[in-house]
Amino acid sequence: MLKPGPGKKVGIYVAEDQQYHGGPSYAAILDYLFFHGVSGATVTRGIAGFGADHHMHTTRLVDVVQRLPIKVEFIETVEKVEELLPKLHQMVGTGLLEMHDTTIVKPAEKKRAEARGDVPALKREGKAKMMRIYVGENDKWNGKPLYDEIVKGLRAHDIAGVTVYRGILGYGANRRIHKDATFSHDRPILISTVDTEEKLTAFVPILDQMVQQGLVVLSDVDVIKYTPELPTR
Amino acid sequence: MKLEGKAKMLRIHFGEADKWKGKPLYEAIVEKCRELDIAGATVFRGIEGYGASTLIHRSYLFRRSSDLPIMVAIVDREDKLTKLFPVLDEMVREGLIAISDVEVIRYVHQEGVRSQA
Repeated sequence: MLKPGPGKKVGIYVAEDQQYHGGPSYAAILDYLFFHGVSGATVTRGIAGFGADHHMHTTRLVDVVQRLPIKVEFIETVEKVEELLPKLHQMVGTGLLEMHDTTIVKPAEKKRAEARGDVPALKREGKAKMMRIYVGENDKWNGKPLYDEIVKGLRAHDIAGVTVYRGILGYGANRRIHKDATFSHDRPILISTVDTEEKLTAFVPILDQMVQQGLVVLSDVDVIKYTPELPTR
Repeated sequence: MKLEGKAKMLRIHFGEADKWKGKPLYEAIVEKCRELDIAGATVFRGIEGYGASTLIHRSYLFRRSSDLPIMVAIVDREDKLTKLFPVLDEMVREGLIAISDVEVIRYVHQEGVRSQA
């Protein structure tokens, strides 16, 4: 967060249709500033203007391509601006980049409601296991889709989280190709879950009963998890 | 064929539009795996992503030609997978190949027996 005192005000001028890595330049610049912790930035669209090429860009003409001037502006400390400049220089492309000294008289404050969200998120890190279960979409257990039943079983065992993926092509134990045909319902299914080794190995005997044919793979992973509050399940 | 204990997982990431001799690269890789008698391979299509070219791959509505991220996952013993490396070197021009240690708990291969539903 900014403090009152000297700072830099940076102005970046680009064309609305200017591209950076397949997207609008101004959006890429705004994302860059956002994810590098800049305290605030504003994008304004001009209604008319001209640049180095001396072409007049206005809203009066019915343009298929939008070529209006866009200005991205932000205020930061001198050190922060120094840190960001090299990348911005690269991103601005044919546009213009300027800055000048400014004095921060009163920095913006966060809203009260957001301030409560400042309680540090509970971060759980450490070693864990990832279990991947490969089955077929068509596999059943007690007449119900096997992958569905496995997810229910994992939930009942308080396993932290499960994701089911459907593959588009594959083969496994029976050497038969499972292909992404429109009406085929036997595509490969991957159930991926992460939790402690004890909890996952405790579930293996249940899998033994449920999975007639399939692959269960365990691997070591490092978990970096953020939970806003204690999980209540 | 039964697989248990220590094994390796290979994950190959590339784009859906990538081709090998006129056919989709992911199909070609799966075929090659079968040829080399590798235990299994599964192809997944991502819904969004970016890679070496930093271009965002995303599907657009009403656009037929999509270039979504593809991931091929293969699990087998290390010696089986090393046979695949020279082939992949040739086939995957632009992409990422990641190898990790895994432990296989079960892998059942019953000839002709498969729950019909």
